[in-house]
Amino acid sequence: MMIDVKMTVNGQERTASVAPETTLLTFLRDSLVLTGSKLGCDVGDCGACTVIVNGNAVNSCLMLAVQADGKDITTIEGLSDFEHLHPLQAVFEQMSSFQCGFCAPGMIISAKHLLDKNPHPSKGEVQEALSGNLCRCTGYTKIVDAILELTSEEASAA
Amino acid sequence: MSKKAKSATKTETIDGLKTAAEGAQLPSVSRIEEHSLLPLTPDANKQTPAVGQRTTRYDARPHLTGQTMYIDDMTFPNMLHMKILRSQHAHAKILSIDVSEAEKMPGVVATLTGREIPVNSYGPSYQDQPVIADDRVRHHGDPVAAVAAETEQLAKDALEKIKVEYEPIPAVFDPLEAMEEGSPKLHGETNVYASKVIKKGDAEQAFKDADLVLEKRFSTQMVEHVPMEPHASIAMWEADGNLKVYSSLGRITLGRADMARTLNMPMSRIRIIATIVGGNFGGKNEITSEPILALLSRKAGRPVKGVYTREDEFMSSTTRHPFIMDYKTGVTKDGRILGRTVRIVCDGGAYCSWSETTLGKGAILSVGPYNIDNIHVEAHAVYTNKTMTGAMRGFGAPQVCFAYESHMDDIAHELGLDPLEFRMMNAFGEESPSPTGQVLESVVVRESLETASERFGWKEWQK
Amino acid sequence: MRPFEFVAPETAEKAVAILAENSPNAKPLAGGTDMVVDLKHTNAVPKVVVDLNKIEEFRGIEMTDRGLRIGSLVTHTEIMEHPLVAEHAPAMIDAARTIGAVQTRNLGTLGGNLVTCVPSLDSGPVLVALDAEVTVVGNDGRRQMPLTEFFVGPRKTALNPDELLADIIVPTAMLGRATHFLKFGLRKGQALALVNGASSLRLDGGKVADARIALGAVAPVVIRAGKAEDLVNGTDADEAVLAEAGDLAAGECKPIDDFRASADYRRDLVRVLTKRTLETAYAIAKDKG
Repeated sequence: MMIDVKMTVNGQERTASVAPETTLLTFLRDSLVLTGSKLGCDVGDCGACTVIVNGNAVNSCLMLAVQADGKDITTIEGLSDFEHLHPLQAVFEQMSSFQCGFCAPGMIISAKHLLDKNPHPSKGEVQEALSGNLCRCTGYTKIVDAILELTSEEASAA
Repeated sequence: MSKKAKSATKTETIDGLKTAAEGAQLPSVSRIEEHSLLPLTPDANKQTPAVGQRTTRYDARPHLTGQTMYIDDMTFPNMLHMKILRSQHAHAKILSIDVSEAEKMPGVVATLTGREIPVNSYGPSYQDQPVIADDRVRHHGDPVAAVAAETEQLAKDALEKIKVEYEPIPAVFDPLEAMEEGSPKLHGETNVYASKVIKKGDAEQAFKDADLVLEKRFSTQMVEHVPMEPHASIAMWEADGNLKVYSSLGRITLGRADMARTLNMPMSRIRIIATIVGGNFGGKNEITSEPILALLSRKAGRPVKGVYTREDEFMSSTTRHPFIMDYKTGVTKDGRILGRTVRIVCDGGAYCSWSETTLGKGAILSVGPYNIDNIHVEAHAVYTNKTMTGAMRGFGAPQVCFAYESHMDDIAHELGLDPLEFRMMNAFGEESPSPTGQVLESVVVRESLETASERFGWKEWQK
Repeated sequence: MRPFEFVAPETAEKAVAILAENSPNAKPLAGGTDMVVDLKHTNAVPKVVVDLNKIEEFRGIEMTDRGLRIGSLVTHTEIMEHPLVAEHAPAMIDAARTIGAVQTRNLGTLGGNLVTCVPSLDSGPVLVALDAEVTVVGNDGRRQMPLTEFFVGPRKTALNPDELLADIIVPTAMLGRATHFLKFGLRKGQALALVNGASSLRLDGGKVADARIALGAVAPVVIRAGKAEDLVNGTDADEAVLAEAGDLAAGECKPIDDFRASADYRRDLVRVLTKRTLETAYAIAKDKG
């Protein structure tokens, strides 16, 4: 069984015919070759596959591609174009808030989702927003620090 | 700092990055948007001294924009996917394996069993681990067969069609039990496969001379590395007959040697391309499924990719050794350590892997950074029917550190001494000899303890 | 995942008809946080997966004659952000906040959480402490039942294979009631509850009245600690009463030993959680005057 879907991915309209058993993550990675979203656990625990669907950060490994029909999706590839880094990417770069990098796309997407909803989060709010993203290298400190640096900088620049 | 000034600093650093990027063939960065940011990282090359200065990492940009290619992000024309059938028994003889039904399935291109592997053993110290178990499985999760198919799902489906006949045999899970004479044996006549002894002075005499002798057993648990990126490799054969493997392996030279052995071909004809690794922590220090991928690829004549599932990762990648540690220490009333004995039993799991290395390092460090004239350390690595243990950050150091520092606290408590004072009294100094007689230089144990205790307010906390 | 057929009907009636037609080889899909994991890890995928997400009547949070109505497809995030919930049943927000993590709360639904019917489900205790009712839609029409009857056993609800959970109603009488929820897990995010619990009560002449103590993860389904409730009713919920209520509740639950915690440890947690939820619920009630 194949089902036609149409969705907006990183601002571009994409149409495809997908098998229902395809997860959104598999669709993004294999069909659209957007491999920035990672498969870490395949059960919705690690957050490496996080993407934003209609404004909500979700585990793309837990969503079927057919369920994303008609939706607006943002992946890590949609945040920058190599001429313009997203401020979160820039601050992660400056704070070296990553090591192996495997969790970074999911972390940044979760952080973007947080800042979209709450531009000036407290440390606790940042930690809660990232609790669905696992990192084995950094110990999280620099990730939380980077997000707080960015928001406090923006507050003082405003 | 004003916004303008910050942006200026930013541009300068980006230029620096660009120069670095040219050599490394990273995507070039013409400019980045002016967004207000924290004071920019100074150029590391211009710093005097560089230590303590923050610098940006050259791999930041591809990592943070999702452009870095990990193994699972790579694909090659006509590539197949591999899945491994794993043992559901902790210890069993394999009576027969029948892959014929699996091979008949549409989409299945090749299968592989242990008997097809030219030299079915590998390992960094002892070559005691089969690539795929052929006559016996030694832990729940041992590979027994592999399938290459058009999709991951088809490969997974095919595993169910493989018929394996087992004859379960008694298993042993406790390392102390495994050391007993009548226990089930995993390899050969004894389960103790590595031992280390360190002797200095006369520990027994020291206990007689001591005012207080304290004994305690400590144990630590098995730990999985859980790298965010599971183990992954892609194997293919090139036109000149050479093998090319893309792998998340951390030690590729060692990997080539193991591949050469298991495939019975010269190392010069094996090329391993190390990619960016999504977390290693010691868990990707040796080959796992690389020879399987190579052989399946040869059978199929197509590239074969193998990515561990999270279950594979937990069941069949190496882990940190559980240690059982018996400490005995003799001290004088005023807090001088006269002698210490340590007995370590290291649970090695089903195969040696890096146990020997871990055992040695654990044994040397087990006495702690303290001047003790009379020492007797005895350490054994033991096979059990569990997931094998191997390298993990620290190579045995975290286990013994937990034990000797807990032991130090207990002794200080018994003597009514401040734990910090007690450590300062006995800690290594410049030119202290290590338990194995190495004269140590640049020793800062006391200074570190002092600084750390000041910073977290040890004295205030004591009140 | 193995192949399956996929349908996304737009009405509840169509959905239950499809379920009946393909029973027992059809399964409904809501947020997918459990269901998609199951689909990945089972070799026996259903023939048909019925996606409920296009059924509008399963959405929305609104005030009705009967009370606060929450559609079964409402996500945990929607509960956390909804003003009606904040006003009338804020403890539901405390419970929703402890479920999974942001990504799973954005996908996972209240209905889905209740239908999994695992003993540790975090949305259970508050709803039980607020006498919540559920509406079930089937091929023979609709039926209503108390949530306590909906929970039958571990992973087993009163739903027939061709029935769906339509909505959850917190009755008018229970709205604005002083309620407090606590969960104890091994970490803050992504943890299953070792024990969770909620207490709700009102004051009658300054004394506790109609107390409800609901406890999760300590019995096959969410339970009420009746003896402890009886004890606190008519008291000032002082230290001694709370301590005894905790002891009684610990005696009323039937926790199991598993790799997460021993039964004894869970019983001890019940003692503490009961005491604390009652204490806070009482303080909230006093505050309201």
